[in-house]
Amino acid sequence: MKKVYFLLAALAGLVFLANTSRVTRAKYGMVVGTPEIRSISGLAFGPDGVLLVGDSKSATVFAIDTKDATANANAQPIEIKNIDQKIATLLGTEAANISIQDIAVNPVSKNIYCAVQSADGTPVLLKISGDKIEAVSTKNVPFSSLALNNAPAEDAKDKRGNAVRVSAISDIGFADGKVLVSGLSGQEFNSTFRSIPFPFANKQEQSTLEIYHAAHGKYETLAPIRTFTTAEIKGKKYLVASYTCTPLVLFPMDELKPGTHVKGRTVAEMGSGNSPIDMVTVSKGGESFLMMSNSSRPVFKVKYKSIEAYQGALTTPVEESFATAGVDFVSLPVTNVIQMDKLDESRMVILQRRSNGSLDLWTSSERYL
Amino acid sequence: MVRLAYISGLTFFVCLFSCRQKTSDQPIAIQWQNEQAVALSIPAAFASDIPDDSVSLLLTLNIAGQQNPVPILGSFERREGGLLFRPMIPFTRGMRYEVRVRGTHAEDFEIPQNNAGNAPNVTVIYPSADTLPENLLKIYLHFDQPMREGMSGRYVKLVRNNRDTIDGAFLDLQPELWNPGRTVLTLWLDPGRIKRDLQPNKRLGAPMQRGTHYRVVVAQAWTDARRKQLAKPYQKAFVTVTKDSLSPQPAQWTLVSPTQATREPLKIDFKEALDHSLLAEVFAIQDNTGAKIPGRWETGPFEKHCSFIPDENWKSGSYQLLIEPRLEDLAGNNLVRPFDRDVSRSSEAVTGKIAVLPFQIK
Repeated sequence: MKKVYFLLAALAGLVFLANTSRVTRAKYGMVVGTPEIRSISGLAFGPDGVLLVGDSKSATVFAIDTKDATANANAQPIEIKNIDQKIATLLGTEAANISIQDIAVNPVSKNIYCAVQSADGTPVLLKISGDKIEAVSTKNVPFSSLALNNAPAEDAKDKRGNAVRVSAISDIGFADGKVLVSGLSGQEFNSTFRSIPFPFANKQEQSTLEIYHAAHGKYETLAPIRTFTTAEIKGKKYLVASYTCTPLVLFPMDELKPGTHVKGRTVAEMGSGNSPIDMVTVSKGGESFLMMSNSSRPVFKVKYKSIEAYQGALTTPVEESFATAGVDFVSLPVTNVIQMDKLDESRMVILQRRSNGSLDLWTSSERYL
Repeated sequence: MVRLAYISGLTFFVCLFSCRQKTSDQPIAIQWQNEQAVALSIPAAFASDIPDDSVSLLLTLNIAGQQNPVPILGSFERREGGLLFRPMIPFTRGMRYEVRVRGTHAEDFEIPQNNAGNAPNVTVIYPSADTLPENLLKIYLHFDQPMREGMSGRYVKLVRNNRDTIDGAFLDLQPELWNPGRTVLTLWLDPGRIKRDLQPNKRLGAPMQRGTHYRVVVAQAWTDARRKQLAKPYQKAFVTVTKDSLSPQPAQWTLVSPTQATREPLKIDFKEALDHSLLAEVFAIQDNTGAKIPGRWETGPFEKHCSFIPDENWKSGSYQLLIEPRLEDLAGNNLVRPFDRDVSRSSEAVTGKIAVLPFQIK
């Protein structure tokens, strides 16, 4: 009897060895396991189909190898009407019981990844290819993770013993080998922005920046970044950020260094009573555009050429007319866009609440550029 | 060895059922967790002749009454006596589902409505005072159950003089700012409208004006994570006073020292209301060797006071109260920087050091 067990143990050991040898070979220092994702606030893609998941609840960024890395140079336009109802049916519930938190296009395969949350808070990750919607398994997948909290080891508790710390990841992106994460605190009004080298190495390498912009040059604000993208303007790389208070601010990427206090330049104020939702950079015929979706405005289109021109004007001290000045932008005839991401150089995938109430996922054509 | 015998016994058992081709006397069973239907246990009889690798193809669940049944996403596990199906999200209360085997109807089941009388409540709204500065920045809603997220825009309103709902008073955030347990929500009164000279401020004005009655109203229709509505609507009424544009001044606080060999609280009077959430985090007490004194903090009425109760009796000697500079008052002014600061007139550092207040225990 003992022998049998011994044999079994030896076999199990072999299996384990085989497993670990595979583990050490996983890309980007990932290990095979099941990431404990508690919420999905933001999705973005890193290199080779690595999906970055911003989890506000556990204050963690997960990098998951989707193994969905077959290049697709010719992405077909997608159109799914009533996508919330279709997803709800797949999840065995009603549309009112779910909300779509974010979408991200895998830049390699062009498949769309979609984060859904049910009313009870359960996060769900889905993949959309063509008109097919399927679950993305996060069981036994290669992944790595990085905790964002520099919070005290033990969270403050209220009288009932609930943690009172309140924070959220407002956006997540990837540029030049770095995972970019903007955050919000529910306690202090400030801007936490992190630039984290990928693959995740050690926790010391993540840097928190204190970045701010000056509205009117007079009243600085550390308002939290709501959404951001990166772009090249006159050969220099910039973080293009939009805020809860005052939109569109540029930060030179090379100035975003750990522990620094970086001042951005406001290039446009795009209206009050509105919050930016998503920003992407697309191009057509050698000209590039910043597209921005909004909570209570149509989609805005800004020519990077105009931003370049305006940047020149801002090298001098801020003028009196600054409040009404700024980069020109065009409002597209597309309203109520809830999520938006770039499909390829000139097209976007758009999640839009139509005027008839239907929530549709569709692909924009070049004619908007 | 025993396990092997057991498994063969089980196989025999399964065979018995499959031979009978009858499902009703071994009913399917809903598995509950935190009042949610998280899984369905399906007796072996349903799936006895289905190989493991085909279970998810041949055994499906869907919402009942569909013309073209769409299989619900989830996973199967082999369990003693059958299978366990876990949908990706819990089954929905009040909905009816169907189990299909090889495409044909096998069984229906319904998830009953949650009629237990434990509706969620708003336990407290901070700040708790009824007189607040017109440039109030944050409101904290505390609940006794994890709530459904993304609903505050619909269910929380700021009402002026019992009449007008103020549009866009709260910052519309996605995601909302919840604590990990989803029992505490932070709402920001739109900072862009409070800060001078920003576009929202210029076009819409500040959300609140001094000398006015306001109510924060929470609608009963808001449901918790279990889809249960609030027990009743809630509201917090207050009147606004002059803007607070000054940083809190710890040097002006009053400390009441406890006596040695007791566990009497150290009492701090701030002379003004401070941010409830930060009060729980920013303080520490250390003795003259620099060792931290373990204990707990309690916030006093209207967040104007705080008490520290040590875990062990106080010893005589000199102590220090350490205060992190991020502590804010109700208008977002922290120890080193007023919320609305004119940078052209001030050169003070943005980041500050820990503030220190000494006290003696005799």
